[in-house]
Amino acid sequence: MRDQIPPFLLHRPSSDSFRLEGRNLRTPFLEKGMDRLAEMIKTAYSQWEFASREGVFQKIDARIKVLFLIFFVVIVSLKKNIGSEGLIGIFVFSLMLISRLNVFHLYKRILLLGLIFGSLVALPSILNLFGEGEVLFTLLRLSTPYEIWIYSIPQEIGITKEGLYGMVMLTLRVINSLSITFLLLYTTPFPEIIKALKVFRVPDTFLIIITLTYKYLFLFAKTVEDMHLAKKSRLLREMRHRETRRWVAGRVAFIFRKTRLRAEEVYKAMLCRGFSDTITIRQTAKLRQCDWVAGISLFLIGCLLLWI
Amino acid sequence: MEKIICLENINYHYHDAISALTDISLEIKRGERFAIIGANGTGKTTLLQIMNGLISPSSGKLFFKGDEVLKQTLKDKGFLRFFRGRVGYVFQDSDVQLFCPTVLDELLYGPLQLGIDETEAMDRAFEMMKMLNIEHLKERPTYMLSGGEKKKVAIGSVLTMNPEVLLLDEPTNGLDPKMQCFLVELMLALNEAGKTLVIATHDLSLVDELQATVGVLSEEHRMEKIGSAIDILKDEELLLRVNLIHEHIHRHGDMAHRHIHSHYLFHRHER
Repeated sequence: MRDQIPPFLLHRPSSDSFRLEGRNLRTPFLEKGMDRLAEMIKTAYSQWEFASREGVFQKIDARIKVLFLIFFVVIVSLKKNIGSEGLIGIFVFSLMLISRLNVFHLYKRILLLGLIFGSLVALPSILNLFGEGEVLFTLLRLSTPYEIWIYSIPQEIGITKEGLYGMVMLTLRVINSLSITFLLLYTTPFPEIIKALKVFRVPDTFLIIITLTYKYLFLFAKTVEDMHLAKKSRLLREMRHRETRRWVAGRVAFIFRKTRLRAEEVYKAMLCRGFSDTITIRQTAKLRQCDWVAGISLFLIGCLLLWI
Repeated sequence: MEKIICLENINYHYHDAISALTDISLEIKRGERFAIIGANGTGKTTLLQIMNGLISPSSGKLFFKGDEVLKQTLKDKGFLRFFRGRVGYVFQDSDVQLFCPTVLDELLYGPLQLGIDETEAMDRAFEMMKMLNIEHLKERPTYMLSGGEKKKVAIGSVLTMNPEVLLLDEPTNGLDPKMQCFLVELMLALNEAGKTLVIATHDLSLVDELQATVGVLSEEHRMEKIGSAIDILKDEELLLRVNLIHEHIHRHGDMAHRHIHSHYLFHRHER
C-alpha cells in the first residue's frame, strides 16, 4: 500500500498562511432553504419530545389539554368585545408563565403571526371604502364622491371606528387562538397529542400513519442536514445557481429512493411482527384525579369567560 | 511537533437543551494518529464536526494551525479555501457524502473547487482510483455501489483534495473484514505520507492496530482521559466505566464462563 500512494498526496502546501479576502461566501437560497427547513423540523421535534414536564400544564393529561384547546378556541371565536378577548389573553399568558415556558420566545412568534394573519389581512377593512362607519381619522378628501358600478367612493376617505374595532378584534382572536395552540404544543409531547385524538374516535390506523409520518419526517430532516454538512465540508467557493439546482435535484432523488427503501423495510418489519390488515394500538390510561380537577377547573373558567 | 488542531473548553448543546460535549480540551500534532473513542452517543461525531468547522460550539475555541476557526472567519472566501483545503472529513454514512452523478465526478469535485486545472484534477482522480482499486467503477453512479465501494469513493473524494488532516467518522463501521483490513493499511500508509489522522470510533481493535493517541469520551460527554493506545487499552477500569468493554458469558464446547469482553483485547480465559 505504501508504494501505491500517489505522488500528489506526498506534496505539502507551500504556505501555512492565508489571505483574508474580506468577501463573504453567500449560501444559495435553495440550499439555505433546505437546511433551514430541516433545522426547523428537528427543533420542533425536539421541543415536542422534550416538552418540559416541570410546569403545571405539562402534568395535565393530553386529552384534557386537547379538549381545552377546542373549547377555548370556540370561546375566543364567540366573544364579541375587546375586553373579554383581553381577559382570555391574560389567562392564557398566566398559564404559560406557570408552565415555565419561554414566554418572550413564544410571544415573539405569536405576535408576528397575529400581525400578519390578523392585522395585515384586515387592514383594508379599517377604511370607509369597504364599510360605513364613524370616521376617526381622515386620510384623503376628494372634491366629490364617486359611484363606480356597485362601488361608492365617499368624498372623505378615512379610518372608521367600526373598521378599527373589527381589525383589533380579529387580531386579538388570532393571537389568542395561537397562544392556546402554542401552549398545548409546547407542553405536550407530540405522541401524546396523537394518542389524545383517540378521545374523538379518530381511527387507530389513521393515528399510526400520522405517528409514522411524523417520525420519518424527522429522520429525513436529519438526512437532509447531514447532506448539507457533507457538502459544506467540501465547499471552497460560491456555488453557481445552476450547480445548486443540480445538487438539490440530485439530493431530492436520493431522498426519494431512500424513502421508498425505508418504507419497504418498515412494512417488512411490521409484517414480521404480526401485522395483517388491522392496527391495534395500546389503550390510553384512565384519567387521574388531578386531571379531572384540572379539566373541571378549565371548563368552569371557560364558562365564566363565556358569560362575561 | 507543531500543533495542528487545538480545542479549548468546548461545550456543545443540541437545541439549547441536550448536552453533547462538556468542557473538551485537546491538542493534535502534525502527523499524529489520534483516535476519539467512546460508547454510542458520547459525542464523537459532534466533536469531529466541530473540528471541521461544520457546526459551531456553544462555547469554547477551535484553533487550526494557531488561527481561531469561527463561524464568521469560515464565511471569508480566503480562510475557507485555506481551511477546507487542508482538513478533509469522511462521513460515517457515505450515502450523504456522495452527491455527484458518477464516481469520476465525485473524485473531481474537490480538486476543481480548489481551482486546480482539469488535467491535473483528472490525473489526481485516476491515480486515486488506481490506489483504491476502483478504476472499473469510474462511470458508475454512486448509488449503484456496495457499502465498501462507497466508502472507498468517499475517502478518495476527500483525498483528491490532498488535505493535511483527515477526519474519519467510524471508518470501519459496517464493512467486511477484508475492507476493514484495507482501510487500516490505507490509513497507516497515509499517515506515513505525512497526513494527520483523527478517527472517531468505538472499535478498540482499530485503535490497537493504528497505535494512535487516544482520547476517551465518557457517557457524561467529557474527555475522560488522553493517552497512548497501550495505556488506554490496558486501563480496564476506565474502559468498563465508559462502557467500551463489558462482562459477558460465552461457551467453549460444553463449558460456559464469564469474563470481561471487549470483542478483542480482553478476551482472557481465567477459568
